[in-house]
Order: sequence, then C-alpha cells, then structure tokens
Amino acid sequence: MLRTGFLYDPRFLLHVTGDDHPECPDRLRLIVENLERSGLLGQLMQIKAEKAKQHWIETVHHIRYIMRFEESCAFGMPSIDHDENRICYDSYDTAMLAVGGVLKAVDAVMEGEAANAFCAVRPPGHHAEFDRAMGFCYFNNVAIAARYLQEKWGVKRIGIVDFDVHHGNGTQHIFEKDNTVFYYSIHEHPSFSYPGTGREFDIGMGDGEGFTKNSPVLPGRGDTEYRKRLTDDLLPAMSAFQPQFLLLSSGFDAHVDDLMSGTNLSTEGYNFIFRLLVDLAVRFCGGRLVSVLEGGYHLDTLPILVSNHIKYLADLK
Amino acid sequence: MFVFKDMAKTLINGDETMTVSQARDLMREKDIRHLPITDAAGKLVGIVSDRDIRSALPSDMVDTDSSCREESVMILSRPIGSLMTKDPVCVYPFDTLQDVLLLMQRHRVGALPVVDEDGILRGIVAVGDMLSAFIEVMGIHQPGTLLCVLAPDRQGEMKKLIDTISDEGISTGSILVARGIQGGDGRKAFFPYLLTNNVARVKQKLIEQGFEMLEPVKWYLDQLPKKS
Repeated sequence: MLRTGFLYDPRFLLHVTGDDHPECPDRLRLIVENLERSGLLGQLMQIKAEKAKQHWIETVHHIRYIMRFEESCAFGMPSIDHDENRICYDSYDTAMLAVGGVLKAVDAVMEGEAANAFCAVRPPGHHAEFDRAMGFCYFNNVAIAARYLQEKWGVKRIGIVDFDVHHGNGTQHIFEKDNTVFYYSIHEHPSFSYPGTGREFDIGMGDGEGFTKNSPVLPGRGDTEYRKRLTDDLLPAMSAFQPQFLLLSSGFDAHVDDLMSGTNLSTEGYNFIFRLLVDLAVRFCGGRLVSVLEGGYHLDTLPILVSNHIKYLADLK
Repeated sequence: MFVFKDMAKTLINGDETMTVSQARDLMREKDIRHLPITDAAGKLVGIVSDRDIRSALPSDMVDTDSSCREESVMILSRPIGSLMTKDPVCVYPFDTLQDVLLLMQRHRVGALPVVDEDGILRGIVAVGDMLSAFIEVMGIHQPGTLLCVLAPDRQGEMKKLIDTISDEGISTGSILVARGIQGGDGRKAFFPYLLTNNVARVKQKLIEQGFEMLEPVKWYLDQLPKKS
C-alpha cells in the first residue's frame, strides 16, 4: 500500500447551495461516510485544510473578482455571475479553505510525506474563470495548485488531466497561452454538454499552442470510447510533454447513473481511467499526483467511485 | 432577427471611377471580400467581389509571361464600374435573417448590400455575419446544455416540453425542431438548448413524461441501410 493523502474538512460543508442544488454538502458527507464505513479512511494520511493566502489565489484570479466574490458573500447575495452559482455567507471562506487544502496536499506530496493525494473539496473549481464564477465553481483549485507548484516548488512542467464530464473552460483559458502547463480534458461533446467549449480545434494559442488537448465524447458513448480516446490522445500527448507533476480534475459525473451528462461510463470504465492515470504519474512524475474533486452528482454512485479512485491511488486495487 | 442588428455598419465602399487596382488594394487592406460601389450621393450602384477581380485577371502562375503582365496592367487600370455587378440584389435594414438566408441561397452570393428606402448604402451583410447571428440565435455563445429529445409528432408535445423546462426554473437559449430527424415511428426531434449546467432533474422529468433522449451515434446507425 502507498501512503495516500486525503484532504477533507467538515468546514467544506458550510458552502450551502440551498434546496435541490446538485452541488450539495451531502456529496462530501456521503463520500466520507463511505470511506469511514469501509475502513479505508483510517488507512489514509489525513490532511487538514487551512485558508489559502490570497497571494496564491491572485496567481490565477483577478483581485477585483476575488473582492467581488468576498463582498457578495458578506452582503448576503444569493448567487454570483449566474443564479446557479449559489452562495451563502460562508462560501468565500469555504472556497479559500478548499484552495488552501489543495495546496497543503501539494506540499505533502512534494515533501514526500504522501505518495499522492485525493482532495475531497467543495466548491469545485474547473469552470471558474480568471474574473468570474461559473458552473458552481468560484476559485479554480487545480489551476492555483499548478501555479503554486511552479512558484513555490519550482516544478517546471505540470500536466493537468480533467476527466469531469464537463469541459474545464476555466482551466483551459487560464493556461491556453502557457507551454509549461499541459491541459488535457476528456468530456461530453460541447455541442451537447455544458459549457459548450472544449472542441478538438482548441489546442492552445501563442506559446501555448499544442499544450491544450480536448477529447470530446458523444452522448451515449461510454467505456470503449473513453478507453480509445485516453489511449490515442492522452498518452502520446503526455509522453511528448513529460510532465513532472500530475494534477487531476476528477469528476465522477460521466457515469451512466449520473444524469448530469449523457455519457455512459461504467464503474469498471472509471477504474480503467484511475489505473491509467496512476500509471501515467508513475511513468513521468515519480508517482507525484494530486487529485481534486470536481463534479459527480449521483449520490449513490459518487462515494463508490471516489473510494475506487482512492484504492487505485493507494495501490490497494 | 433583423438585418440592421447583424449587418456591418461601418461603410467601406468604392466609386465607379476607381481603378480595379485601387479596389483590390482597398479590399486587401480592409480584409473584405465584397466592395459595394456607390455614386456621389451614396446611392448603391453595384458590388464587386474579390472573385470578380480574380476572374478578370490572368493567373498569378503565368505572371512571368510578359504579354500577360501587360494584360494585367491594362485590366488593373480600368475603372471598377466596368467590372462590377450592376444593380445587385440587396436588402433593407428591416428585412430579416430569413430573407438574407433565402436570398443568399437563391442568388448564390456571399454578401448582400443593405440600403434604405432611397437606395442609399447603409451596410452590408455577409456570410460571416450570418454565422455570428445564428450562433446568437441558437444561444450557443453562452454556456449551456443541449438536450436531444424525441417526442411523438402531435400537438401539445412542445408545450409539455417547455412547461417541464420552465417548471425547473431553467432559461432557454433556443429550441430547434428538427424535421429531418425522426424516429422510425414518426417521432420528431426537439433540441432545447438550456442555459444551465444543472440538467439531471429536468432530464429525469422528461423521461418520466415519456420523452426519449436521443443519442447521436445511435441515431446515425439507425440511418444506415439495414443488412438483410
């Protein structure tokens, strides 16, 4: 078994999105309960969250947006930038805590305390743009982690793999001109799925041309298509790029049970992805990998998939 | 939906006396493919496309031939009035996108000048402007999710669909009805583009009401000839 870090903090539940919102505190509560029940939680290295220093948020987000978000929460606004990006008084602090937690997970892996880590955080991050909230996301956790790895730890080349069923528009836009961060995303085809970006012709621009890759999957497709696209698109791209650290935007909403998408990945199909990504990290990054929770809204399936993901990280499967 | 909203309003136009060479240079400089030609009062008298100019000139490939070069110089120095299409098809600012689409298709042109009631040039609408207009009409410049819904071809299905969507408090970017895409059983396909990320529940409700979610690849496979 590998020493796998697990980031969770009950304060992540304080970002309350109201009745009937799919991005709800129960997602995390059920993930943790399931890990506890199976005994897996006790085998993981616990990482506690602490608020990120604003400096790190500013490596990705505009200061005016950061302040606007903070003020919107403090003034009791119901949402920010779209009525689905619900906020409450604690949302800003929770988002700061999520970022800070992910950065601590990065530290744990860089210091060698943990071989890799999974971050069970809310709110998610990959839709969050430089200057606005989007798709239930406020701060781009993974993008900030990439900048942190580069600035604090001097890691030059970061690979980001985003297997949430939605395209991570925020992460793509943040790094599209950057040749030091490779952004790969596999997601439901943008003609059909939110947010409508992430076509194959998006390959980055300027210095970053060739450092963004998208694999859209049509609704109704599942394991076979994922297997094919990951093998044909992701592996050659990462072999050429040679990342030194792997960050995952881990979404569990491509599962057949999850009606947020039309893709039909099975539990086994997800296992294929988990195994492949661990292998990728071992091959290029000395195993260094931090996986960050994005989407996944089917409350029965999500905890099982997260648990499987962690088992692959910890080499228990 | 109206031409005035989507046309290019910055006028770039020539007059009949300018030479073919001047017209070509102006079009290159402004990166346009159609140049409306007006008289001194600003009234539209013709239009010239980059293709008109290219067809009038000998090929670049034979440029080394001196007789061709002389011919080119001669053509380039002629007035554009001799090359332009006179009295071209045009539209009014209050005409619709539908008009533009059908006129472009009928006359096989890539741009239509826009004139007012007095025939004064007010703008131009080109294929690129139509693409932008339709991207906006479909709502796909905003983040959202496209549902592919098969429904029986009978009255009231559209209402059911819209009611279900609005009951969920979801804004709609557009709803396309695809008449060419039908289930073998005479059902018809609706494509609502919803300005939301949150589609799990609305999908569930639509399925409960008997709508079917169409899968693109499955649909395509159904179109292929059946093996006997």
